[in-house]
Order: sequence, then structure tokens, then C-alpha cells
Amino acid sequence: MGSLARATTVVILLLVCALLLPWESYPRSWKLWYADTFGATSYNPASASVPSTPPATQTEDFEEICPADVKGWRKAQTIAGVKISASPVCMPDNPWAIAAFVQGTNNVKHMALMNARLAPDAVVKGRDLDGDGDPDEIHIRLEVFELNGGSPDLDVPVVQFPIAPGIKPGLWVFAPKSSGMSTENFESIMAQPGIRLPSPAIRVEQGDVVKVTLENTHYMPHTIHFHGVDHPFLDAEGEGNDGVPVTSESPVMPAHTRTYNFQPRQPGTMFYHCHVQVQAHVLMGLQGMFVIEENRPNNWVQTFNIGDGYVRHSSVAVREKYDREYDLHYQDIDKELGERVQASNDPRVITRLIHRDYDITQADADYFTLNGHSFPYTARDALIVTKPDELLKLRVLNGGSEGIALHTHGHKVTISHYDGVEYPEPVRITRDVVWIASAQRLDLELSAKNDGLHSYGEGVWILHDHQEKGVTTGGIGPGGNVGIIVYDKYLEDNGWPMTFGVDWSNYFSEDYYQRKIPVWSSYDDTNRFGDVQGSVWPKLKIVLLLLLSGIALGLVYRWVFTGDKGLDLKVSDDKASGDKVPGDKTSGDRHD
Amino acid sequence: MIDLVAIRSGRGGLNLASSAGLSLRGLLLVGLLIGGHAFAEEKGGMAMDHSMQGGMVMDATGMVMNANSERLPEDCEKISRDYEFTVIAGTKYAEPFADTMFGFNQHEWKVEPCSRITVTFKNEDQVRHQWMVHGLPKYIYDQGMFHMEAAGGHTQVGTFIVPSDDRTYLAHCDIAQHMEKGMKAQLVVGRGDGDLWSIPGLTAKFERPPTATFLPRWIWLGLLLVGFISAAYLWPRLIKRGR
Repeated sequence: MGSLARATTVVILLLVCALLLPWESYPRSWKLWYADTFGATSYNPASASVPSTPPATQTEDFEEICPADVKGWRKAQTIAGVKISASPVCMPDNPWAIAAFVQGTNNVKHMALMNARLAPDAVVKGRDLDGDGDPDEIHIRLEVFELNGGSPDLDVPVVQFPIAPGIKPGLWVFAPKSSGMSTENFESIMAQPGIRLPSPAIRVEQGDVVKVTLENTHYMPHTIHFHGVDHPFLDAEGEGNDGVPVTSESPVMPAHTRTYNFQPRQPGTMFYHCHVQVQAHVLMGLQGMFVIEENRPNNWVQTFNIGDGYVRHSSVAVREKYDREYDLHYQDIDKELGERVQASNDPRVITRLIHRDYDITQADADYFTLNGHSFPYTARDALIVTKPDELLKLRVLNGGSEGIALHTHGHKVTISHYDGVEYPEPVRITRDVVWIASAQRLDLELSAKNDGLHSYGEGVWILHDHQEKGVTTGGIGPGGNVGIIVYDKYLEDNGWPMTFGVDWSNYFSEDYYQRKIPVWSSYDDTNRFGDVQGSVWPKLKIVLLLLLSGIALGLVYRWVFTGDKGLDLKVSDDKASGDKVPGDKTSGDRHD
Repeated sequence: MIDLVAIRSGRGGLNLASSAGLSLRGLLLVGLLIGGHAFAEEKGGMAMDHSMQGGMVMDATGMVMNANSERLPEDCEKISRDYEFTVIAGTKYAEPFADTMFGFNQHEWKVEPCSRITVTFKNEDQVRHQWMVHGLPKYIYDQGMFHMEAAGGHTQVGTFIVPSDDRTYLAHCDIAQHMEKGMKAQLVVGRGDGDLWSIPGLTAKFERPPTATFLPRWIWLGLLLVGFISAAYLWPRLIKRGR
């Protein structure tokens, strides 16, 4: 190839490269020279917006915002002699289960157990030891379930419990011993309502003789540590009772059981959690609220509050002072932890992935839940409903890996108890941001008295972690642990809050939390904030530019440094074969 | 409404709470032998609104649901044969299969069409387990299901009759992750209609998201690059050399 042809090739290549280089990338002085010489270049219209998608309500994957209460679970009712108050929220707790938890699963009829899907020995209530009209021997049985777990047969999680639309991190929970399937029915892969995040709040009475049996139905070892609950280090038989593998006992292996024994002398809002490999097991969901109610006559407490939230059968002591009681359990979830149970079906591999591969010191939480749900699901079952002038008791547990700065709109709350211990009344603090450290419990008094201090009046007031990532789901807002204080005047008949802001249908779409929907699309009628229509050409230009530049550089290198061999590979190939082939040839000759 | 005779004659779960009393340490346990209600979670209403031929027996030792030792499936003229199986559930039986945690002593049973099968379901673990068969005719078995659940250390006995067609039925434990981690088996009626997936010792897993997700990116990029170079660069040279 002649040197002229070579130079021409390089020049043409460089010209093509120059054309491919985006206008904006040239030095400012060059652009000024160009503009002075040739004037402004012609108008280049911006890509149009992607047509906005129809509201999620019109698409197939839209889920009903507030499913109808076909079973009549919301209304006030009396089951097995237990008065259960009406549930104001859209998706209430199962009243049959509440009746069984109050009476004891050993004291209710078959029908209640069937409808509650509980084992007959889930909550066994025995003798009245102090003769005050309520049982004081309580035997609770807990099982361990994996939600959103892996399966060797399906490419979707099994025994599903979405915490928000389309968000299904692997979770482990404690649940009262149930009976039958873990799913709604055989056709369904959704968890039955009694098995969910959070692990349920447990209530006993001060002075009760409590036994808690852990029936480990899971494929990994677990224990229970009763954090803050008055319990002896060793039980009467001299066995470890603290739930801590390194100091008190061997963990409960899969398909084995263990019973913890205690008789709590002090009341208060406490905590229970698995103490095996806590950096993973607690954050996988093996944690719940443990409430010890003050001793009162005829005090039949609701042993479990499934999914926490509104307590439909409050204890006598709480009813003496408060109009309503709510359990609020905050958690944070790292999706990189939860997805590990879905990554393999081999317990050995899962064990390695969770306990050795996963490094919590490198972790960040992605999901933030209130009572096991993130907004907008929190509006289905975690509303705090009140009437003017009522006094509410909020028991708050932060089970997350980080503290939360809980802020109440429209109200200033008063802290009555820290970690279950009463704070003296004269020095109590009333404020609108409450810091709750990890594992901490605060009892809050929420007064609905419209005095400009405790309440600013009726409304739909949100409450949320004011560390702003807490109000997102994987960084997409609104989501996270946003809850709502709703005055009954602002509650629809079906338990849904009346709102005056934007349409919520986007938030019930999986696509929204997968970053596929522009955040303002529900009210951006002229599509001014829609997505920019993507064009392949700009990207292709860059790829071509890089490719051609590489070719040009390669050619120049070849011509300058390796002599004039052009694109002909023959010479070097002959050389290569000349180096090594002779031996073969001679051997071939010999055979000939 | 409910065929109580069928339940009773099905030999299902008449073992009342005799043994349960021990573990309850003197606390009173109400016997809960009540039929007349299917253990079902229907959309839109209580299960009692549905008529059915089965029923269930339940107590602290477990339950047997939809037991049937009398009623023939419509396609059967008579009971072809009687079988008695003992199915044992326990983590012990998972030991031969290194990637499982729960197991049955046997993961396949073969029976003749129209046969009557009495299963003694023995649970050697301390937590409850189930042995459920799915896909049976719904006009006899509510939800098409014959279901036994044994509490830890307890045994249940139940009988059911299979129809005439060659079919392979799923038998499993439906407690979360128990089937996934080994408690999956099949009941082959006649010649069956093909093996099910993921049965320990019998068939391969159908699907598993790749654990490669947890390989560091540079490793799989590196492997890809090594493959590419060897194909694009070394391979043509070797061919030329061979010429």
C-alpha cells in the first residue's frame, strides 16, 4: 500500500471520528471559531416524551387497593364469649384467631380453630393461680416459617408475602403453631394470613407462669431470646433459658423443639428474637414485640396480635386509661440478605451465603417496614385510627439495624415508657420527633385533644421515619415506613383513608417500585415530566467512534512501528509455521 | 351435609388426645373430634357453605382430612386392591440426600388403579409434618386433596381410594419449605403419567436460579474474555499452523 493511500485512509477515518464526536465535546474555543465562521447550526429537535402509560388501575397487573371484607372480619363481634371490637382498617385481623388467642386454643371449639387455622395447642391457657378470674398458666407454641423462599420447581418465591407491590424479600418469621397448609390454599402461593411479617406481638400478664415452646419447623437452627422480659438464666431443670448459643444453650436444630420458662415480675413492652447468628437471623425477621400487661382481675389478654397494629382485645389495665392501643413494629430489610434464601435450594449453600458470604458491615438497608408492610400497603392494615379527644397508647418497637426518627404529623406525642420502664409523669417529654434506637421500645401517648399542642385537629396525618431513606422502598418514594393517623371522620366505610392529594394507583403497581414509571405521571397531564424517548443513534455513535478510533490507532501503530506489512498476515504466519512445523514435517516424511 | 360415616369408617384420627395430655402437663385439653367442616380457605366465604363428601378429624396429635374408604370414584366398578403403607417423616430420612433437610422414608409409591390405600403416617420429628395427596377427584375429595398431618412424635391413619386413570400424584408436606427441602414424593397409579420433578433420589430439580449471581463480576467477565480470545485469536492461528 502506498504512503498516499495510507495517509488518505487515516484522514478519512479521523474525519468520520470527528463527525461522530458529539458537538458538545469539542473545546469551547473550536466551537466559537466554528460559530463565527459558519453561524449557528440548525435546530435539532429534542426527543419527544414517552406517551404516558394509562393509570395502573386500567392495566391487568393492577391489584385491588382495598380488597372487600367478604368474610365480615371488620365488624365488632363476639366469638366464643370474647368481645372483639370492630377493626377500622381495610384488612383486619382474623376475629376467630383473636377469640382463640384470648380464650386459649384449648378452650375454643373446633370451628374457631378451623377458621383461625391454628393448632389446638398453639396457646394453651391453664389454671387461675391467683384466683382473680383469668388464667395464669400460659403455654405458647411458636413455629418458624420462611416467606418468599426458594423452590426447586418454580422461578418465583414460594409462600409469598409481598411487603409492597412486587417486593418479595426472603424472610423468616415466628408464628403461632398452625394447622394445615402454609399457603392460602393449594392453588395459591400466597402465605395464609396467620403467617406474615412481622413476627406477632405476644401478650402475657404480669406474674403468669409462661412457657414458650419453639417448634423449629425451619431448616436452620434457631433460639428465642426474651429481650427485656424478666426470665431466669437457667430454668428449674438447670437448662439454659436465655436463648444465647454462646452462653446458655445449644440452638434448636431443624425439626426439634425447646421450651423456655419464665414468670415475669415486671410489666412493660419488651422484645423477643432469635439469638443464633443475630446479624442475619434478627434482620431476616425473627423478632417480635413481647408485652407484659399489668396484673388485673378478669384480665384475659390477647396472646397474639398477628401483624401487630390495632389491638382488638386490649388488656384491662390499658382499657382503664386509654381508648385504643396500637402495636407498631418498625424494621429495615437488606434485599441482598433476603435474596440469598432464593438463590439456592441446598441448605448448605444457603447457610454459607447467609452467614459467611454476606457481610453486614458492607450492608445497607433497602426496605423499611411498619408492621411488616411498606407504604402503600401500610394503609391497608397499619392505620392508626382515632376520634377527637381520645387518648391512644402506641407501643413502638424498632427492630431495625439503625435508629429511626419517628415524626408524627399533626401531633406531639408523650413518651410514657422507655424499654418497658415507666418514666416519671412530671418529667415526661412531649415532642414530634422521637428517636428510637435499635431494639428499643417506647410507649407513646397520642392525645387527639385539639389544643394546638397534642393535636392540631382532625385529619389524615402521616407518621414516618424522618431519616428520609426510611420513607422509600429501595430508594423510590413514597414508600417505606409511612403510616397514617386517621380521624374516623376521614375514614371511608371500607376503612380506606380519605385523601385530598394525588391518585395512589401508581403506588399499587410493581412497575413503580421498579423505577419504570415517572414519579409524577399520575397528575402530569401534559406529560411534561415523562420519560425522554430513547434513541439508539447517539449510543451507536459513541460505539462506532470508539471502534473506528481503535482501528485508526491500530493501523497507525502497524505502519509506523512494524514496517510495511499492510493487512497481509501471510509473512508472519509463514514465519510462525517455519519455526515449529519442521519437526512434524520430518516425521511425516518418514512415514511416507 | 357431611358424610360422617365415611370419616369414621375411614379409620382416620380416632386416636383422641390420650397421648397429648402428657405434653400438656396437666392442662386441660378439650377433645376436638368434630367433623362436619372442611379445612378450606375459600375465596369469598366460609368453607362451611360448601357441601362435600369428605370431612376432617382433628386433635392435638394431628388431623386426617377427606378420608374415604367407601365411596368409589365414578370410573371404578369396584376396589381393585387394598394397600397398606407406612409413611415415616423425619429429618433422619433426609440424610441420604445431602441437599435436603426433611424427608420421607420413601419418596415413591406404586398402586393399581381403583385401589384403596391405607396410610399409616408416622412422624419421628418433634415438629408437625404432613402427607398430602393432590389432584384427586373433587366430587369426593374437597379441593381434590387427601391430607394427613401428624404432630411431632405422633401417628395418623387414613384411607382413600384412587380413580382408574394412569396418573402420578404429588404427595408432600405443605409447611413452608418442607417440600422444597426434601418432603416431596409421588404416588404412581397404574403406569402413571410421568415422573414429577425434584423428588429426592428420583428426579432432577426443574429450576434453580443460578448461584452464579454471587460470583464476583470480574470472574465471569474474565472467563468470558478468556473464551473469546481463545476462539477469536488462538483458534485461527492453530488452524493455519495445521495447514
